[in-house]
Amino acid sequence: MGGFLIRKAGAALVVLVLASMLVFVGVRAIPGNPAIALGAENRDPSVIAAVKAKYLLDKPLPVQYGHWIWLAVQGDLGTDQRQLSVGHTIASRLPISIELALLSMLVAVVIGIPAGVIAAVRRGKPSDYTVTVFALTGLSVPHFWFGLMLIIWFAVDLHWLPAGGYVSVHHPIANLEHLILPAIVLGTGFAAVLMRQMRSSMLGSLGADYVRTARAKGMSEKTVVWKHAFRNSLITITTVMGLQLGGLISGIVVVEEIFGIPGFGSLTIDAVNQRDYTLIQGVVLVAAAAYVFANLLVDVVYSFLNPRIRTI
Amino acid sequence: MNRKRLGAAIGVGVVAGLLALTISAAAGASARHSAKFKNGGTFTVAMTNGEPDALDPTLARTFSGREVFLTMCEKLYDLNKRTQIVPQLAASLPTVSKNKLTMTVKLRHGIKFNDGTPFNAAAVVKTMNRYLTFKGSVRASEISAVTSVKAKGKYAVVFHLKAPYSPLTAQLADRSGMILSPKQVSKLGANFARDPVCVGPFMYKNRVAGDSITVVRSPFYYAKNKVHFSKIVFKIYNDTTAAAQALKAGTVQAIDAIAPTDIPSIKSDGALNVIKAAGLGYGGITINIGNKNGLLKLPYQNVGTDLARSSALRKAFEMAINRNTLNKVVFNNTVLPGCTPISQSSSWFDKSIKCTPYNPDQAKQLVKSSGISSPTVNLMVPTGTVALREAQFIQAEEAAVGIKVNVQSTDFVTSLSKADAGTFDAFLIGWSGRVDPDGNIYGFVATPGTLNDSGYSNAHLDRFLNRARSASTTKARRNYYKAAETLILNNRPLIYLDHPITNSGISKKVSGVNLYPDTLLRVAFAGYTS
Amino acid sequence: MSVVAQDVEAPLAVGRNRRFRLLRKRFLRRPMAVAGLVVVLGFVIMAIFAPLLAPYSAGHTDFNAVLAHPSSKHLLGTDDLGHDVLSRLIWGARASMLVGVLSTVLAMVVAVPIGMLAGYYRGWLDTVVARMTDVLLAFPFLILAVGLAAILGPSLMNATLALGIGTVPVFIRIARGETLALREEDYVPAAVLNGANDATIIFRHILPNMTNTLLVQATLTIPAAIVGEAILSFLGLGVQPPASSWGTMLQEAEPYLTQAPRLAVYPGLAIVFAALAFNVLGDGLRDILDPRTTR
Repeated sequence: MGGFLIRKAGAALVVLVLASMLVFVGVRAIPGNPAIALGAENRDPSVIAAVKAKYLLDKPLPVQYGHWIWLAVQGDLGTDQRQLSVGHTIASRLPISIELALLSMLVAVVIGIPAGVIAAVRRGKPSDYTVTVFALTGLSVPHFWFGLMLIIWFAVDLHWLPAGGYVSVHHPIANLEHLILPAIVLGTGFAAVLMRQMRSSMLGSLGADYVRTARAKGMSEKTVVWKHAFRNSLITITTVMGLQLGGLISGIVVVEEIFGIPGFGSLTIDAVNQRDYTLIQGVVLVAAAAYVFANLLVDVVYSFLNPRIRTI
Repeated sequence: MNRKRLGAAIGVGVVAGLLALTISAAAGASARHSAKFKNGGTFTVAMTNGEPDALDPTLARTFSGREVFLTMCEKLYDLNKRTQIVPQLAASLPTVSKNKLTMTVKLRHGIKFNDGTPFNAAAVVKTMNRYLTFKGSVRASEISAVTSVKAKGKYAVVFHLKAPYSPLTAQLADRSGMILSPKQVSKLGANFARDPVCVGPFMYKNRVAGDSITVVRSPFYYAKNKVHFSKIVFKIYNDTTAAAQALKAGTVQAIDAIAPTDIPSIKSDGALNVIKAAGLGYGGITINIGNKNGLLKLPYQNVGTDLARSSALRKAFEMAINRNTLNKVVFNNTVLPGCTPISQSSSWFDKSIKCTPYNPDQAKQLVKSSGISSPTVNLMVPTGTVALREAQFIQAEEAAVGIKVNVQSTDFVTSLSKADAGTFDAFLIGWSGRVDPDGNIYGFVATPGTLNDSGYSNAHLDRFLNRARSASTTKARRNYYKAAETLILNNRPLIYLDHPITNSGISKKVSGVNLYPDTLLRVAFAGYTS
Repeated sequence: MSVVAQDVEAPLAVGRNRRFRLLRKRFLRRPMAVAGLVVVLGFVIMAIFAPLLAPYSAGHTDFNAVLAHPSSKHLLGTDDLGHDVLSRLIWGARASMLVGVLSTVLAMVVAVPIGMLAGYYRGWLDTVVARMTDVLLAFPFLILAVGLAAILGPSLMNATLALGIGTVPVFIRIARGETLALREEDYVPAAVLNGANDATIIFRHILPNMTNTLLVQATLTIPAAIVGEAILSFLGLGVQPPASSWGTMLQEAEPYLTQAPRLAVYPGLAIVFAALAFNVLGDGLRDILDPRTTR
């Protein structure tokens, strides 16, 4: 068991290091550099040279990477183009995205799980079809378009909710008003995934031996569904949610941009637009770490549930 | 997103012997002045020109950064609404020695930095030394003529110069003239931007990266009674439409620059005012003529594209574009159509220069006579809805005369780096504008110009521009600039299309917000009306 | 060798024919999947015959009829530059179908051989491939595609490339997993006994047996790529004017949300219908091809 965990954690670390290298090279492969981005109208050769020196762009790539990763390991992610510390900048933006992610998950769970259960229990009936169509539609609607439509509807036409922006949690009502539409946009897409997973997992559970035994013992259908099949399916759903983190991050980037929410996603886009190398590297390192960690967690949970997997 | 205007604006390229500059035609605008102010309240400004970079005048380059500095970092000199230079922290305009190699600036007494420490000659010397020597200082090139700055008593400083350099005062009316608190500089060093302290009506409170910058009323300011808001929040909006909606909803009380598409709806809102100022910049197309190996890789050699090798085709290209329709369709009538590097709002604007008229029939003839069959132009466009709309408009206009335009929408920074590298045919890009004509012309078309992406090199033009720099009378300079502009208009390394007008939206509850031709929204001395 | 192969082939072909008829019967019993196929074919026809169907070219502008309301001349009205919206929708189908299908094919061509080799030979090759896949998967698909498109520069071809590369890790995983499972099937040792070499086993025995899974995954990847293309175009990283795509139409519509919301509604609906049709079709195919769900 311990060996398995160490192997998995080691693999996760390798992935993280490779990912950080990939970003490091990738961001430098995008045309333009911080000197040009910062220079804009002031393209005095001496200033350009100074910026390049600041970012060590005049040194070979391995030296640049070594310098950055050495400080990063010690917890110093460097300074961004605003002269603020990258760690501080990320820390100020991350909570907004986490709040949005949690709200979206809430929306997804509230819609997705009951719908998935209903579809499984009433398999082949109209309600099953309705749920399936709804789920497939949810997978087909682009976040950014859905966001625009909700803005037109609720903000422009009805004036019920703000079109975008963010208000801190110190004003809880305004905060929710600003986040409800983005959470719905992100949540419904996510709900579609949950619905489908819940449905197929419930169908599996409902056909399993222990459920048949429970039925044979004369338990009510309600108890069978909720106490046995549902509870068992929740484990699958938890892992699915972990694995969906990547999709959620993509969605957050788009939704934050559409709704003008100053979170992690819009920070990333700004950083790329400005070729703020240190900031991009920091942001991606944190995002990749979150993803790798979530996967590691899923692996660990799996290995507890299904010990055979450890030998693979 | 509105059209991207590059970083800094006025005051940088001012050259040749003028201490006080006058722009008579420049129309400044302001909200109602007569109203009575109520003290207190938070004022939130939506910034739509991008996020400010470092809030350290040593390093700062962005246009929007200057808007923030106007509230918290005063300068030795300032511009008034007619863009004349007036003393701010200095007690009077500087005195220059006979040999023009030293310049003495007297300072005002009894002024305190926003940390309570006194403002004096020692502070000015320390700041100037930082500007001159700090690694990566953007100011160093602006005041490179200065060899040293010495205190003369407690309230005067002397600038020693390598050579006579008249634009220095203009530089001291911009970021190079902002004085930093020595105590804070010692404390934070390279991290001054994390908690900047200068002299100003407001002082830095905090900043959320990518989102907002907050300043609060200073208890140390020398003219406290003129300051009304207790707090100003600069809120960054990447999406101008969202900013407009926030203004209408009352989430923000002002927008520094409204997108053309949003102007009608803001004008029709009874709770809002729109103020505007014609800027000093231009929008146009840079044509790559000789930038074969990269910017400043001399000598420039013709790149051999259809546009570069045929001046008749360039003329046809210009004749195909109807600037008035462009203004109507693309900009909702929010620019001044124009064909010169100098805006109509500048006193240097020369009415006698004739534009190439819109004439698609003659353009067709020219295309034919150019001898180039099916001419093609790759037009690089920075990503953005307005720019892309403009590019499509041009594409349609050129198609009508037989020139095929391929639009290449390119991310802003990439487009700049391609422009510098010379890997483009034509580039749809503007310039934010400078007070002095030199700043709008020299860098772009003079052979040694640092912004000469066109790779244009013309000995006659260089001579006119150099003489304009050294000429002592305005009349002589005007003549040289007329000659230079005529040359540019005939050879077309750039084709100028318009001069933008900045429109700001302001809540009617607020008074005293000003917009000068530098198009920075001035909010420091505004207030809610009672 | 060739004789042996023919002997094996003959009964298989008969079996395939019968299986195909069975699948067709099952497929036709699913009205949703059939509807999905019809809509998909509709979009494909629209894309192929755009020049005949569209009343105007994609770049046709009429500066005197800007933001015009729907009329007999412009059935869905015009946009901010006087483009005919209906025509741009029809031309836009081209970009979407092309990117959707091509990027998926590209991903499969690159990923399937890699995944199969890793799954078949295992060992260090498998470890390397698995780690590389993990690294790519650590970046969300969209972020990877946006980053690649930014590096490659904006064009329809580069958007296809970016989306294709973004999908590669998914197909590697599937091909590897299937190969791992299939090489344990009885017919592999049997083929080895018959003297088949690795290439024969991989291409004659394992590949044909994973086509179902790949087909299903492809029908589910295409809609993701269609949405992906729209996002790239929305960010200005897709087709260049005067060509149109549904994503660029949305990008151009954004400043007019208050004045002319219909400009944002139509292309969005087109994306939803196209993606939904592929998803429904893929869902149906999975049901009939995957024995586990057909009970």
